[in-house]
Amino acid sequence: MTEITIFGRGGQGGVTLAKLIATSYFLRGKHVQAFGVYAAERSGAPLQAFVRIDDEEITNHNQIREPDHVIVLDRTLIAPSVQAGLKPGGWIILNTPDPPDAFVEDFPGRNVATIDATDIAVTNGLGTRTVPIVNTTMLGTVAKALNLSLDDVEAALGDLKFGGGNVTSARKAFENTVAQKLKGKADMKAPTAPKGRIAGILDADVGQMPKIRTGSWATRQPERQRLTPPCNHGCPAGNDVRGFIEAASREEYDRALAILLETSPFPGTCGRVCPAPCMEACNRSPLDASVNIRELERYVAEHGKRPEVPAQWRKERIAVVGSGPAGLAATYHLGRLGYRVALFEGGGELGGVMRTGIPSYRLPPDVLGEEISYILRQSVDVHTGRFLDRSDLLKLTHEFSAVFVGTGLQDSRTVNLGNADEEFVEQGIDFLDRARLGRVRLDGLHVVVIGGGNTAMDAARSALRVGARTVRVVYRRTRAEMPAIREEIDEALEEGIVLDELASPLQLHRDGEGVVLTCQRMRLGEPDESGRRRPVPETSEDAQFDLRCDRVILALGQTSNVAILPEGSEIHENGELLGLSGAPMFAGGDFATNEGTVTAAIGSGRKAAWHLHRTLTGENLFPPPAEPIAEPDAVTMHLFKRSPSEQSAMISPVERRRTFTEVRRGMIDSPDHHPALIEANRCFSCGVCNQCDACIDYCPEGIVFRNGDGYRFDYGYCKGCGVCASQCPRGVIYMSEL
Amino acid sequence: MARALVTGNHAAGHTLAACGEANREARGCCCGAYPITPQSEIIEFLRDYEFTKGRTIPVESEHSAMGVCIGASVAGARSFTASSSNGLAYMTENIFAAGFYRLPIVLIAVNRTLGPPWNIWVDQGDSLALRDAAWLQFYAESHQELVDTILLAFRISEDERILLPTIVAQDGFVTSHTQMVVDLPEQELVDRYLPHCHIPHRLSLEHPTTIGGLTWPRETEHHRREIQTAMEQVPAVLGEAIDEFEKVFGRRPHGMLSAEHTEDAETVLIACNTMARTLRNVVAERRERGERVGMVKPKMFRPFPRAELAAALSGAKRVGVLDRNHSPGSGGIFWQEIAASLQGRSDVLVQDYLVGLGGGDVTPQVIHEIIDDLNTRKEAVEPIWKEVAA
Ligand SMILES: Cc1cc2nc3c(=O)[nH]c(=O)nc-3n(C[C@H](O)[C@H](O)[C@H](O)COP(=O)(O)OP(=O)(O)OC[C@H]3O[C@@H](n4cnc5c(N)ncnc54)[C@H](O)[C@@H]3O)c2cc1C
Ligand code: SF4
Ligand code: SF4
Repeated sequence: MTEITIFGRGGQGGVTLAKLIATSYFLRGKHVQAFGVYAAERSGAPLQAFVRIDDEEITNHNQIREPDHVIVLDRTLIAPSVQAGLKPGGWIILNTPDPPDAFVEDFPGRNVATIDATDIAVTNGLGTRTVPIVNTTMLGTVAKALNLSLDDVEAALGDLKFGGGNVTSARKAFENTVAQKLKGKADMKAPTAPKGRIAGILDADVGQMPKIRTGSWATRQPERQRLTPPCNHGCPAGNDVRGFIEAASREEYDRALAILLETSPFPGTCGRVCPAPCMEACNRSPLDASVNIRELERYVAEHGKRPEVPAQWRKERIAVVGSGPAGLAATYHLGRLGYRVALFEGGGELGGVMRTGIPSYRLPPDVLGEEISYILRQSVDVHTGRFLDRSDLLKLTHEFSAVFVGTGLQDSRTVNLGNADEEFVEQGIDFLDRARLGRVRLDGLHVVVIGGGNTAMDAARSALRVGARTVRVVYRRTRAEMPAIREEIDEALEEGIVLDELASPLQLHRDGEGVVLTCQRMRLGEPDESGRRRPVPETSEDAQFDLRCDRVILALGQTSNVAILPEGSEIHENGELLGLSGAPMFAGGDFATNEGTVTAAIGSGRKAAWHLHRTLTGENLFPPPAEPIAEPDAVTMHLFKRSPSEQSAMISPVERRRTFTEVRRGMIDSPDHHPALIEANRCFSCGVCNQCDACIDYCPEGIVFRNGDGYRFDYGYCKGCGVCASQCPRGVIYMSEL
Repeated sequence: MARALVTGNHAAGHTLAACGEANREARGCCCGAYPITPQSEIIEFLRDYEFTKGRTIPVESEHSAMGVCIGASVAGARSFTASSSNGLAYMTENIFAAGFYRLPIVLIAVNRTLGPPWNIWVDQGDSLALRDAAWLQFYAESHQELVDTILLAFRISEDERILLPTIVAQDGFVTSHTQMVVDLPEQELVDRYLPHCHIPHRLSLEHPTTIGGLTWPRETEHHRREIQTAMEQVPAVLGEAIDEFEKVFGRRPHGMLSAEHTEDAETVLIACNTMARTLRNVVAERRERGERVGMVKPKMFRPFPRAELAAALSGAKRVGVLDRNHSPGSGGIFWQEIAASLQGRSDVLVQDYLVGLGGGDVTPQVIHEIIDDLNTRKEAVEPIWKEVAA
């Protein structure tokens, strides 16, 4: 009878090696037996397996205590104790990169065979460096030491259906095994099993029972990370979207509002008019629908209390030119930093396009007014009706410590439609300003609006509201390419506005009481530099058509008036104006960038304020580079139930047509329905721990503990199973290899 | 016969599948399946097996697993399952039901210590606790005996004279997870060996009826006596089944018990399962030294072969029973049965040894120590706790 003991760790395939050795002898007609000692059936736990080989039937079922040979699969298990009970002349077969004589102190006088099975196995794709599967490789070395042939090895591997890298590895091991009898006298002492005290279930000192430090067999450990939620990354204003939603989900609306006010003074405005790139980025959208972040922002602005503003002012005064969202955001953030601000606005009221362009049925003036007056609670000298020119601007650089320019877009683009009377054509921007002040009526008229942006949509919808009988929008491309906010296009069409896609105006001429607008039919050609497909004229015979109407409104976009900038200056990437002699000057908003949204203007105003602060004081408020974004696969989607997104209440399209009352009424609570709360709870909290306790609940070892706002793993007892990581819904916990 | 190097669980799974498949031209087969260590590989094997007529039905608990077997069996299918330890405990209500319904279900019990404290290793207390459930019970000492006993079990259980379910037990890990060379029966031979499963009281749509309804004391007593009568037929039916087995498979399995070297032995040791194999080696060693030592391995525990055992021990002066189980407040369960079989014999000392509980490795050395102890005894004492090596 030949008896072999194998020392290994769970996951290395020790029991399978026992079976492989047994199989190679079985195929030679021997009686064999192979078994493992099963205790902790876990990856990495020390484990023994045994093989018996005999010519007679094997009737011994005991564990092997005096083996003929021993095999050690794991370098960390090589120790003099493995030779306990080993019979004289037996082999000690080791997985190690070292040659046999490196072990002369551990195993004097013994026959030792070595092979770097880990390296061979990993090179051939068997397991990983941390958990290499070395069994098939070791078979080669065992065969070499025990005088089996390569044919025996291959037959056993074939019998158990091991192919490919296993066969290559075993062969390589067979050929590269180094075997040698070591110098010295063998240690033949029989092993003595240590006899400890045995504790029972009722022992008072059960707590003193020998603890099994499960952590000792772990090969991986859970770690926690914080990722950037995609919504946060997607918000141009820089809002901590996830953070404010989490506060809202706990009904802490004051805290939620405070989080928003850290970055933007306009949550009530953005909560109404923002195109919400955050929602486009939302990880929830592949599951059902993105979280309705915009409406939540509005809800929080309406339900939270604004904190008091600080009242400690620095000596530096800073001039801000233009009171659109960029200028006001700069004013706000400068004020928060203690600067006194002088705000110069060419028009009569503050707010820029938010005031003059965006109609009140989308943004009621009192909502805007409230947000502006919060800003004005800081130290702000307001100078309305001060339209500054280039020399005024230069003067400011000598009177103030710094200057911010956020004058937006001033010049409206136009188009030559021939010599029809001016009274029939108007610029959209001017029309909107007149309409909001109640200075225009279009009762019973047929109106055509040319353009596809927000101005076009707002002009068209406002035209309806001041009495127009019909309104058509003429646009060169298709609806999909329109730059206007998608919801606004939908709402316009609901209200009965007609869209003439792929049509470009050619000429306008008088016809009786009204005019006729001749248009060219277009089709989409190759993409242009903006990536959108360029409209090209149709060539067919009926490629032109006429629209009879009473009024034409142009909404073709605007350009900035760079002429007010001091000569020779240029705008640096971060908004700083270079080439000036006086105080530092920064530009932001639509004037400096081409973003064209309120949220982007807010973000650029805030950054300009921080840049100015850094220039004046050296203090850097910009956060360190953000953590990686929580991609959708960081979220464990199957842990979340599908649920529809809660929407704002709306007034009906029929009612909408004749009134400037706000169309969206927001999320309205009733005694048995709290849509905002439901919506806030739909947020996954991507990549950021929100203390859901799933790790505590699921850890089978019970070794995850709350630790202040975070968690602590007791690594001494963490076996590295990874259940916590697999049950973390939001990718905060990951397993790191040890 | 296909000789293969497989685990006890694989051997059991293979044999159950072959037996189920052998009923494909009759009413097919069914396995109600729920996993538990160290039995799981058996039902995993059956889950992956593609029966021509029949299937493995995974359920949510052992209780339901036996429920499925009862339902299938009462509809005439050959039914079987496997379980261990606390799984058997949870299955118990339906285990009794299967016995009292007289359904020829076969259950592989992979013996494992009942918890708490939790322990996955071998101890026969789990299946022995079911001794009063009207099931036949066999304990297999090796892979081959496991295979052969499963084949016998279907034949006996389904015999019209018996119609009782059978537990075939094997040692957790020591056989269930150990690779050994074994002859796995080929389908064709199993087909020849097992008649189609015919359950006379099966339910059918042609003759709507029910079984197991409310009865009065008289009927209940009658029902129990019928079961006892059936149990009494088992030795004869087993004998026939073994004869037939030899004809088909060409080898002769052990019967109810095997008595070895008992003719001249004054000291006789009794053990079953793999412990019996270790004992056999020790006895051989002792006899070589000229000692008059013998052994008995009871393979069948229900019905308990009292007469056969008494006969085998007729010349013995000292009997040592190795019990890998414990009935608290009494002692070893085999010992109770054996002592009852020897009632009226004042010339024999019967000593119980509780050994290898919770899966302790019972080495030849331990058994030598037991024999030495037994040989010096003048009279029997309370069951002795015999510690084994760590
Ligand atoms: C009709 C319309 C609808 C829109 N709808 C939306 C929408 O729904 N959502 C969205 O996100 N964006 C929308 N936009 C775009 C958005 O309003 C602008 O991107 C944003 O207002 C730009 O902010 P700003 O501060 O850079 O400039 P502006 O808002 O244009 O403010 C510039 C201010 O500077 C003043 N000013 C200019 N020149 C001088 C000078 N020389 N001296 C003193 N003061 C001066 C102007 O009077 C004005 O008040 C819309 C734009 C228009 C035209
Ligand atoms: S400002 Fe716009 S992008 Fe930012 S969170 Fe609000 S809705 Fe989203
Ligand atoms: S689920 Fe929540 S955290 Fe994730 S992207 Fe959407 S809003 Fe942001």
